[in-house]
Amino acid sequence: MDIAIGTQLDRIIIIAYFTLVMGFGAYFGKYSKTTSDYFFGGRRFSWWLIAISIVATGVGSHSFVKYSTKAYQYGFSSTMTYMNDWFFMPLFMFGWLPIIYYTKIKSIPEYFERRFNRKARYIATLMTLLYMIGYIAIQFLTLATALYKIYGIPLMLTVVLIAIATTIYMHFGGQTSVIFTDLFQGFILIFAGLLLFYLGIQYLGDNTAFTGMKAFWMNLSPNEKLPLAHFNHPPDFNFVGIFWQDGIAGSVGFLFLNQGLIMRFMAAKSVNEGRKAAAFNVLIILPISAIVVSNAGWIGRAITNAVPNALPVDMAANDVFVAVTNIVSSPGVFGFIIAALCAALMSTADTLVNASSAIIINDIYRPLAKKLKNEKEQLTLARWTSIGVKVLAVSLVPFFNSFDSIYEAHGWFHSTFTPPLVVGVFLGIFWKRFTSSAVIATFLGGAFLMLAFSDRFQPDLTAGKGWLAIVAIIAGKWLPKGVFIAVLVFALLGSVAVHVQILDIDVPYQIFLALPYLASIILLIGLRKKMTYHL
Amino acid sequence: MDFAQTWLPFIYLYGIGGIAFVFGLNLILRTKALRLSYSRHKKWIWIFLYGFFFYAGIHALFILIAIGSQ
Repeated sequence: MDIAIGTQLDRIIIIAYFTLVMGFGAYFGKYSKTTSDYFFGGRRFSWWLIAISIVATGVGSHSFVKYSTKAYQYGFSSTMTYMNDWFFMPLFMFGWLPIIYYTKIKSIPEYFERRFNRKARYIATLMTLLYMIGYIAIQFLTLATALYKIYGIPLMLTVVLIAIATTIYMHFGGQTSVIFTDLFQGFILIFAGLLLFYLGIQYLGDNTAFTGMKAFWMNLSPNEKLPLAHFNHPPDFNFVGIFWQDGIAGSVGFLFLNQGLIMRFMAAKSVNEGRKAAAFNVLIILPISAIVVSNAGWIGRAITNAVPNALPVDMAANDVFVAVTNIVSSPGVFGFIIAALCAALMSTADTLVNASSAIIINDIYRPLAKKLKNEKEQLTLARWTSIGVKVLAVSLVPFFNSFDSIYEAHGWFHSTFTPPLVVGVFLGIFWKRFTSSAVIATFLGGAFLMLAFSDRFQPDLTAGKGWLAIVAIIAGKWLPKGVFIAVLVFALLGSVAVHVQILDIDVPYQIFLALPYLASIILLIGLRKKMTYHL
Repeated sequence: MDFAQTWLPFIYLYGIGGIAFVFGLNLILRTKALRLSYSRHKKWIWIFLYGFFFYAGIHALFILIAIGSQ
């Protein structure tokens, strides 16, 4: 759909906003004298500064587009992902936060070396970097998708310009620039999101807020007022799927594995300040953020229900944020709200770029360098690394642009890279017998399942293969040769199960699929006496 | 509106999520990461419980409102 969007005034406001943030961020360059300043801001910040700056980090530019789309399609249940993070707060605030703060680990991969070994650290480094650089690419793509329509310039050129803008303001300042610009941008995007809601209400009520609120409420169906999605329907937006993908994997991934978030907490002046920031963020900021990112979709739905042709008939759900903003706001205000979208992007991207740079310096350069350069040279290296990260992210944009929607691209990479890391961190913390070999097997096996066997995380992805692995170890008498043969037998049966379905045999295919599992049970029964002493 | 749209997701969310919450709370108490004998720690227990019931309350309220607006 092509919507005529924005006026000259809007374009000027957006550029003015970019210029303001670049200047603001660059100003804090003078506070970065060492890599510790550059990555952790000197560990001197109060809880409120951390809490507000996290808002802008947590709300990415994709959030406005993604949640407005879901809000337009399904109503209030679009807020689910912002309102299911509390379950893990005890573990985060009194388990993980003190560990990362007092051990002074500088990155998630470093934790893996301390808990396991260096090999685990390197694999974790690779996976974490892939995750973060992919995330940056999605942020660039989302904002470019909105801006190139406004300025009428090619998508990839818009991506490059956005990358250059973020480079200018965070190249010198590092974490201090990131925190202060995120603080500023956090306020901007909350204000702009609530302003959009107010304008939408005004639009519905013919410039009367009370009438507008009433019209808004009356024009949403009871189903659209439900705060949780339908239990198991439809396949792309149901409660169970969202709960496990976002409430469990997403929350754990964000709280325990998000290098950018962890660096933000490490910039706090004490653990208690970090706890206060976390509690304030989840109890106060997240519910507000849920309204900020979703309300364009709710307003769009209420408008459509009230006046069916008010929004373009052929409008894709993905376009609802820009379309609603365009019709409810006046020239200038539209530019300001799009500038808030820019704020969301830049604040998330800068955090991730800074975090990726920290990982490259801390987990690749420092362990591998034969002779470390002095602090000043390392700081220069860190700055150039952040540019390299952006170049890589820009080169990944065409790949993510090949997905049907940004929502799908985001879901794909989120559910591809985080599950093995989440399992590694959790079992490492809570299970003493989870060894270095086990964590490496988890990473490699997880990466294989996500990238080669399937194309993303799905429930029951392993389909009982963990059980087969245990039986293979028992049948192989805990010896590599025996285990190798047992694994080959199971693989052969698995392959037979697939290929025999092509043949026209009048036997239910489920029987063939069960072959490896039946074989494993028969094997265990046959070996039970011989193996008893091992168990 | 059937049960699968209204209270079933709520029960599932606070049932399974509640298990994760209680597990975490129990773990930090057992390992003495959070010590109830410290006055500066004691308030956190109340904050944790408040947060849990705060979100459960909001979700329950909106479900009731949605059912009532049919």
